Amino acid sequence: MVEQTAKARGLQGCPVCTLVVPIGTPHCPRCGSHGHAPDDPTPWNPSMQSTWAWLLTAVLLYLPANFLPIMYTNKWGDVHESTILGGVLKLWSHGSYPIATIIFVASVLVPIGKILILIWLCLSVQLRHSTTLQHKTKMYRITELVGRWSMVDVFVVGILVALIQFGQIMTILPGPAALAFAGMVFTTMLAAHSFDPRLLWAHKPS
Amino acid sequence: MTVPSPTHIACHECDLLVAVPELKPKQHAHCPRCNFLLAARRPDAQAKLLSYSLTALIFLGLANAFPFITLNARGMEQTVTLLGSVAILFTEQHHLLAAVVFALIAVIPALLLMGVVYVSLSIQLGRELPGARMCLRGTIALAPWNMAEIFLIGILVSFIKIVSLADVHLGLSFWAYTLFTLGVALVTINFDRREVWSLLVRDHPHPTGPDHG
Repeated sequence: MVEQTAKARGLQGCPVCTLVVPIGTPHCPRCGSHGHAPDDPTPWNPSMQSTWAWLLTAVLLYLPANFLPIMYTNKWGDVHESTILGGVLKLWSHGSYPIATIIFVASVLVPIGKILILIWLCLSVQLRHSTTLQHKTKMYRITELVGRWSMVDVFVVGILVALIQFGQIMTILPGPAALAFAGMVFTTMLAAHSFDPRLLWAHKPS
Repeated sequence: MTVPSPTHIACHECDLLVAVPELKPKQHAHCPRCNFLLAARRPDAQAKLLSYSLTALIFLGLANAFPFITLNARGMEQTVTLLGSVAILFTEQHHLLAAVVFALIAVIPALLLMGVVYVSLSIQLGRELPGARMCLRGTIALAPWNMAEIFLIGILVSFIKIVSLADVHLGLSFWAYTLFTLGVALVTINFDRREVWSLLVRDHPHPTGPDHG
């Protein structure tokens, strides 16, 4: 049998319950969700636009997330600021290599990698590069899977703030980067969600 | 235009139309073109969904009942509970951070589990309880935003960060939360949206009807 896409047969799959219905069905007859066939593979179709918009927001939020302090430590009145990268370097210099590695991977490598992979995928749709599609789809899948793990640093800040409340002796407070970083994680997740991997396959020569 | 039978799936990631045969327990169906996991059949998935989600909810309740972490530093002791730690963030005027963290680690996973319990009950009773479809839609939409297991790693990282400053003890609630996270993971593994939908809505107006074909 010749491989055929649902769209080529005038059909679309429901994104929520997987039921296959004719294109243009406004609401899925089984679950009521709104689904749509992949957009026409023009460079600036609606789904591409929303992915770029979320990506741009994520990049903008990434700047304050890294340059502003994520945490203030108040020890006997001395206030010490720490940034994400500063915290990693400090942990490393104290010999906590596993923890430094976890934070570095989750807070630096994963977000940057995710943004770069999504940019690459968007460009390859827009420039109609239809090579190594399986590989690209796999990269997309990994991106969607690991993105949430970046949140770990925000949780660490929250836990430290809740625990270290010893008045004058030592108090930890969250910095503005904590929220910026959480926003960055959300927007990269939304960027990955809004990217339609079906567009990668739309230019596959048949 | 020929409309395929309900055994067809349009691959979520490459839109290939695939005829998925009836799966035996422990069988998976992958897209032949992009290898996306189209459907999976776990043995006794429906019974497991109900029991794991109920168990996880109970453990989440227990995680709120005992001390989460106790800290000893220079004779000062600080014991925090799960809700207490969120309350501290609130009183320190970090409302938004407190709300975001609390939603991701407790509210969303709890709603998710309650949704699964309700839908599973509908399936086990053999009739659609009111609002079950809306409930299942909501559960599927919330799933990516559950971050319980990430919070667990966050606890361990914080634990190692402060172990040099103070004596840290993980309380009973920590272990309850760990089991809760495990329960959520088992629910996720056993949840196949296609199977759950087809069991919940048995008499949906399928487009293979004569007026469409």
